[in-house]
Amino acid sequence: MTPTPPNPEEDGEIREHSYDGIQEYNKRLPNWWLFTLYGTIVFWIGYWSYFEWFHIGLNGPQAVQQAMAQIEVQKLASSPEINDKNLWKMSRTPQFVLAGKATFEANCVACHLVSLRGKSENPLAIGPDLTHTKWIHGGHPTELYNTVTNGVLIKGMPTWGPVLGAKKITEAVAYILSKHTEGEPIEVVQNLPESQTK
Amino acid sequence: MSNKKITIEFNDQIVRQFLIASVVWGAVGMLVGVLIAAQLNYWQLNFGTSWLTWSHLRPLHTNAVIFALVGNMMFAGIYYSLQRLVKARLASNFLSQLHFWGWQLIIVSAAASLPFGFTRGKEYAELIWPINIAVVLIWVVFSVNFFWTIKKRREPSLYVAIWFYIATIVTVAILYIVNHLSIPTSITHSYPLFGGVQDALVQWWYGHNAVAFFLTTPILGIMYYFVPKAAERPVYSYKLSVVHFWSLVFLYIWAGPHHLLNTALPSWLQTLGTTFSLMLWAPSWGGMLNGLLTLRGAWHKLRTDPVLKFFAAAVTFYGMATFEGPLLAIRSVNALAHYTDWIIGHVHVGTLGWNGFMAAGMTYWLIPKLWDKPLYSKSLANLHFWTGLVGILLYVAAMWTSGITQGLMLNATSDNGTVLAYPNFLDTLNTIRPLMLMRVIGGGLYLVGWFMMGYNFWKTVKGANQVNGTIEVFEEATLEDSSTYKSPIALIFSTPVLFSVIGSLFACVWMFGKDFLSIVGLIGLVLIVVLAFAHFESKGKKWEDWYNKLLVTSLPFTVLTVLAVIAGGLIQIIPTVVMHNAQSAEDRKQTPYTPLELQGRDIYVREGCYLCHSQMIRTLVPDVLRYGDYSRLGESIYDHPYQWGSKRNGPDLARVGGKYPNIWHLRHMEDPRATSAGSNMPTFKWLLENELNNSTLNRKIEVQRTLGVPYPNWTAEEIKKLVQTQANGIASDLNAAGGIIQSDREIIALIAYLQQLGKAKITFTQSLAPQINP
Repeated sequence: MTPTPPNPEEDGEIREHSYDGIQEYNKRLPNWWLFTLYGTIVFWIGYWSYFEWFHIGLNGPQAVQQAMAQIEVQKLASSPEINDKNLWKMSRTPQFVLAGKATFEANCVACHLVSLRGKSENPLAIGPDLTHTKWIHGGHPTELYNTVTNGVLIKGMPTWGPVLGAKKITEAVAYILSKHTEGEPIEVVQNLPESQTK
Repeated sequence: MSNKKITIEFNDQIVRQFLIASVVWGAVGMLVGVLIAAQLNYWQLNFGTSWLTWSHLRPLHTNAVIFALVGNMMFAGIYYSLQRLVKARLASNFLSQLHFWGWQLIIVSAAASLPFGFTRGKEYAELIWPINIAVVLIWVVFSVNFFWTIKKRREPSLYVAIWFYIATIVTVAILYIVNHLSIPTSITHSYPLFGGVQDALVQWWYGHNAVAFFLTTPILGIMYYFVPKAAERPVYSYKLSVVHFWSLVFLYIWAGPHHLLNTALPSWLQTLGTTFSLMLWAPSWGGMLNGLLTLRGAWHKLRTDPVLKFFAAAVTFYGMATFEGPLLAIRSVNALAHYTDWIIGHVHVGTLGWNGFMAAGMTYWLIPKLWDKPLYSKSLANLHFWTGLVGILLYVAAMWTSGITQGLMLNATSDNGTVLAYPNFLDTLNTIRPLMLMRVIGGGLYLVGWFMMGYNFWKTVKGANQVNGTIEVFEEATLEDSSTYKSPIALIFSTPVLFSVIGSLFACVWMFGKDFLSIVGLIGLVLIVVLAFAHFESKGKKWEDWYNKLLVTSLPFTVLTVLAVIAGGLIQIIPTVVMHNAQSAEDRKQTPYTPLELQGRDIYVREGCYLCHSQMIRTLVPDVLRYGDYSRLGESIYDHPYQWGSKRNGPDLARVGGKYPNIWHLRHMEDPRATSAGSNMPTFKWLLENELNNSTLNRKIEVQRTLGVPYPNWTAEEIKKLVQTQANGIASDLNAAGGIIQSDREIIALIAYLQQLGKAKITFTQSLAPQINP
């Protein structure tokens, strides 16, 4: 590469004035630069008109309310049939149980521990034992499903319905049920008895 | 009248001082940056202390690199170039030294307060109120010194670099003062004047324009002096300088709301943010073009000259960052990128690439001139360049990939879009951990390069003579020749200014008027633009004469700059303050915090929780699926300061209240991994040990009441009782669940605050029905 000397023909006039030896050309603005500037100004007028003048475009709250309403419809249309019989059946189907195990270990083990035994294993754990036949909020499969879906806020069980969705919750319940057998005695208690935490 | 030639000596001592300070503080600021980057992978790196914890150090990092590195570098560059461009020595040695030592004292007090939890809880505006006052005073000292020097100038006409310096000085003053308005509750604590959405808007009007007028305009001014000097080439285009300067200072101010896209910020402000950000693209690139094209004919020097290498790369990075900015201001792109590492990457293209490399180039150019000795090692400077460049590229590539990966995972859904694909936030965090590590390596390399410069600097100047530049001038300045220009008033009320003002007014009538007015506004706007073009075509020479006259009068120039920069701020902030107060907040209204919750909130602010956790569920489906119903403007209307956040290193907390039991929060603060396996959150054990300090609580509530929060007129006794009752309730609940803790610990207040987030009794101020059925 060889140095290119300033070319007055090509570069046009240099401004008369210099500042501490710094000179300035007075070249015209590049066309592409001007078109970028004008283009974004035209865009501003169009975009503002679309959203704020004629209100054709939906604003944030309108758009998200519409989308969430559609998701509700979708959920209702595709929700699996939840009953005790189906859930017991799923709990004996490895595909469901394995999928449920993954969901359980990603979301539930913080309180109920990997063993599902919660407070029984470690008194410092937040969640109760899920392997025992004594239940606080009911031990029938549909009751389990409802507890997970709606949560028990006062006891610290989060509302998982909106987060996990019906399919994942069904699988997680199937996983819990896989630790139980159909027809075993189910007892509902206020608190799990002390003997269990030993 | 005799007018003999004299030699004046420039005040280059002050330049040397600021230059050294910039390199030293830069090293400190970046070292903190590398440490906190590493902490995101290795939470143990706070060594169990509160003051080395990520959320305490992050404000130190940002404040240090912005105000200490770039601040000192800017003052060095401005003082060096100003004296030469106006052919006068700095007006006052005393003011110069006061400026320098005052600024260093501010930096030291920032370093002595931020890590210990003394913060206002607003990004880049964290310093507590006594330091704020010091900053304003020192800025006034700087301004007086600057304008006094201009007054004493022997060069009548102001060069483009000085336009940018003037814009910097006046705008930073306005931004800083407005965003720091607060009412003190004690010598170290205050509540900001604005709350909720108003505070959010003012904060990002400030935050965005701190980038514009602290990190961009002064550096552009420095570019306009040092690049042509180093390249020994004329500036590419004076016309471009004029057009891009005025469009840049006018448009920049409006773009702040792009930091709040898809939030509860009213739609019209978001639309302004998007469109003005896009319009900013060309003016920004005007600066890049003038920088890069000035190097035409000097490209061959880049091979050997490290100074030009740094400048060329810096200007290129400026161009990249200012292209990426408008891109990120598009609502749909922002939905993916906001709160993720992509934004961190974007910022560092600007800071490491543009600011850091401009600082390095300027330093290498100045050292030999200020100490009259060639640089110790040119090859070490070249090595610095390549190390720094590789560092930036690694850093930025890591952050882009990390941001886009996490954004896509957070937004991914399954089952026909009805549920989240990755409901556990930690899955997304743990996916990007290798990239966060790559960022540490990139940042580390950049820091190593910086140390090379420090070493080179030291070896060059050790034992070298300090020299001050001199210039021969006529003793009497022949500046005030009143016949060459009209009165300042007549200069302001000129044709170009009138066209601009009337055009802007029509644009506002179009945007904010209703029905018929809108149409009138749009027609008026188009008409004014056509007329202005026609007038310019026929009377262009007159416009040029007018501008040349403007350049020899600093006062009207400064007045016009102020007008250009305040327009956007006034139009956005005044309606927001007037309309979006508690009385007319959209559809629901927050209830004030209980005294204990307020204490908990102040702990939340003190610990810097907002730096990793947002409290703003955006109007986006993935946000609603993950965190619950989208946040309404009224839900944070009494929050002084607002805590919407700007980054999600952890999940959003806007509706975390009641999601987990109290015991969960206790265990989580004691050891985040006990409840959330794989979390990178540091432990906050001291919250379980520290006793809650209620000594200023009465004053705090009184200040909140002054700010418009509807607190009853509680007596001190009532407040004490309210605190005790609520604290005892939480403590006994914790004890019952196996968490043995006294009721007077800080953690109790924090749990009280967290448990009501999104749960406060909501007052519906109007029916929701019409919104659901449009």
